[in-house]
Amino acid sequence: MLDPELQTLVEITLRTLWVCGSALLLALLGGVPIGILLGSSQFISRGLLVSSVNAGMGAPPVVVGLIGSILLARSGPLGSWNLLYTPYAMIITSTAIALPLVIGLTLAAVGSLDDEWELQVRTLGIPRHWRIWLLIREIRMGLLAAVIAALGGILSEVGAVNMVGGNIAGETRVLTTAIMMHTSMGEYEIAMSQATVLFGNLLLLAGLLTWLQQSGRKR
Amino acid sequence: MLARSRTLPKTALIAFALAALITSPSGAADKRSMILATTTSVRDSGLLDTLLPEFTEATGIRVRVIAVGTGAALRMGREGNADLLLTHAPASEKVLVDEGIVTRRTPFMENFFVIAGPAKDPAKISSAISPEDAIRRIDAAGAGWVSRSDDSGTHKREKALFHAAGLDPEADRDRLVRTGTGMGLSLQIAGERRYYILSDIGTFLAFHKRVGLEVLSKPGSSLRNIYSILQLDSSRFERPLHTSEAEELERFLLTKKTQRAIGAFGLDKFGRTLFTPLKLADDAHASPVSK
Amino acid sequence: MIEDTQPPSIALSAHNLHVRRGRGKDAFSLGVDYLDLHAGEVLVILGPNGAGKSTLLRALAGLERSVAKDLIRGGDGPVTLVFQRPAALSGSAEMNVRAALLGKGIPEEVKRQRVTRALDRFDIQALASHDARTLSGGELRRLALARAFVLEPEVLLLDEPFDDLDAEGQRILSLDLQQAIEDTNVAVAMVTHDLRRALLLADRIAVLAPGRLAQHGLRDEVLLRPNTRDIARTVGMTNLASGRVCRQAGGVSWIQIEPGFEVPTTAALNPEQEAWIGIRPEHLKLDVGRGDGESIGKAVVESLISDGLATVATLRVHDRRFTTHLLSGRGLARRLRPGDPVSLAVRPDQVHALPA
Repeated sequence: MLDPELQTLVEITLRTLWVCGSALLLALLGGVPIGILLGSSQFISRGLLVSSVNAGMGAPPVVVGLIGSILLARSGPLGSWNLLYTPYAMIITSTAIALPLVIGLTLAAVGSLDDEWELQVRTLGIPRHWRIWLLIREIRMGLLAAVIAALGGILSEVGAVNMVGGNIAGETRVLTTAIMMHTSMGEYEIAMSQATVLFGNLLLLAGLLTWLQQSGRKR
Repeated sequence: MLARSRTLPKTALIAFALAALITSPSGAADKRSMILATTTSVRDSGLLDTLLPEFTEATGIRVRVIAVGTGAALRMGREGNADLLLTHAPASEKVLVDEGIVTRRTPFMENFFVIAGPAKDPAKISSAISPEDAIRRIDAAGAGWVSRSDDSGTHKREKALFHAAGLDPEADRDRLVRTGTGMGLSLQIAGERRYYILSDIGTFLAFHKRVGLEVLSKPGSSLRNIYSILQLDSSRFERPLHTSEAEELERFLLTKKTQRAIGAFGLDKFGRTLFTPLKLADDAHASPVSK
Repeated sequence: MIEDTQPPSIALSAHNLHVRRGRGKDAFSLGVDYLDLHAGEVLVILGPNGAGKSTLLRALAGLERSVAKDLIRGGDGPVTLVFQRPAALSGSAEMNVRAALLGKGIPEEVKRQRVTRALDRFDIQALASHDARTLSGGELRRLALARAFVLEPEVLLLDEPFDDLDAEGQRILSLDLQQAIEDTNVAVAMVTHDLRRALLLADRIAVLAPGRLAQHGLRDEVLLRPNTRDIARTVGMTNLASGRVCRQAGGVSWIQIEPGFEVPTTAALNPEQEAWIGIRPEHLKLDVGRGDGESIGKAVVESLISDGLATVATLRVHDRRFTTHLLSGRGLARRLRPGDPVSLAVRPDQVHALPA
């Protein structure tokens, strides 16, 4: 039987990875197509969208958390969803934080391609879904940068997820909010062990992604 | 080699995503749950972690504790964002009672605030005759003061003390630090600067070794810290509250067994009790500041 | 280059093609009533900058949103365009060629054969495993052509395929290209600004004026009988003048450009008709008494510019300038000096003339 403190640490760590992983996945699933769409097409409101994405990239996560907690509160417009103080609220908020980053960096990656790239691939008669596959393949270094930025953003974020998650033990407590709580409780030893796990995770992921990036660049 | 390394990033991503999804928490669908908004000092003391598992086991009701400042907790109650409140700001609580938002206010435990300060006690407050006198001495000596300034229950009490001492709590003075943050961090700031500070006893005990401050006040009625359970009027809100769960929790907190547990809490961790139960007339022994 | 006695079949026929882009000052439009591409033939598209050559290629490739377009296909094979600056996909050269076959349901075995053949055709097998983004300009161009030919296209559109290549690179590439066209019977339309290279490959020529197709037809028809002076300039007919028919005899009309300077032509003109004439530089001769055409008058050598192979001689007749091509390093080209008097000669059937 695991020591209960360790058990809690494992549970919090797994929840952290689950929340961040899901948010990252959602942000990628939503952000990459939007980024590609914005980056490869020309329409009138494109400029407006691009500048709002850029603004979103600079938006402080705490603001996102505030808006999220107002929207999701029982008294708020989305109160009937009963999402505030659940992990899903944390996933939604983390996704909202990561989404502009993913869109913006995808946009930049698409923009770095030749203007005629899409036409050149199209004229080879390659079906649409394969063209998209080729495009993603072509900008994969930029996408990797987006993944790193998004993951770093949401894994180390604390203010917003604390607001919408409530740091409920066994439900919405993740590494960052737990560190903050234990620090405020004066339990520095626990906070420190959680910080070590968080930092270790960040290091591991950053190392993995950097390795992917470099092995990709060599080719 | 080429084909393999080409698909590697994608494979890794998918694997990561799957791993992330697999670790999703089990048993997400609970039938009965409720939101308890409480003050950080109660959460930080660890009291609820001791009491609530038993309640959940007995009733099947999951209690989701949101720890915020008392001001924020009262606001959550006012807006129907919590099912039950547990706060320690009698004056502010009474406003909600008068407005009819709170249908029942039940004081259920108390402890004391303390005025802490450096052992050298430059304002000589250890010889003060009352907490108000202590505040006046600090002001007169121009000694340093750390104010929470975060609309918490402790901050409300601090302001009340200043008023009672005939001073304006909002006035600018030298050597006044407004932290706007939690009790723990505020205590540390006070410790670093060797300033005086008002703190709840629980948080003070958790931090006092680290910050090197001493309790310099004597217990007095103006330092009583009464925690109350506030039941809310569900009919006022668009979305109904979990009132029956909230009432079950209140009943649980008021049972003799729970009250005894409250009275005993802290002995193993701090070697002394932190709270005095108020619904245990025949068992009112441990005063939290008695040594 | 086709041995067939059958007329070449039409691979792509464009009717009422109209492309419009932009607004106001930047507005651009291109209209082409009809244009045919024939299997196994090369159509070279010439025209001044901004006339819409690349736009026409893109429209033919179906990449332009045209206002109106009626493309009639001879078969159902692929139509593909090789851009002026080919994009290299990240990955090996082989992967680049292979990518063109993505999602087409071709069995792996067939794919492999076609990729190998395409790489062979442009002599880049040795580069197959090289990172495409490290290839030189010339190698990349060959890769782009291999990527196009692996599709086994029915219509191939080439935008400046010889851009950025040195003379030797151009020569070898045009030989490979010619061979590939012959092997596959593909219909080719090619935009180029290199007139000499174009003339080597062209079966047909289309000349664009800004925004419209000015003339198109068989190579020699366009080269020798341009419809307007602008087209004449575009196809390299450098010697242009205008005058009036002063006498006619035996099917030859003599056009007086100025007193003492009369040019004979077999073109059908009426007596006293105002006309403009055009003589290709290779058809304007220096009369050295070899009976090479009819003598038309005296001129003075103004300048001689040689690129090593050919020497372009600029000749003055009063205030008019004419040009002719001489072989460098031999005979006249070596003896002539600026200021030397020469007499000019032409064959009447090589003088193009149209009523002014």
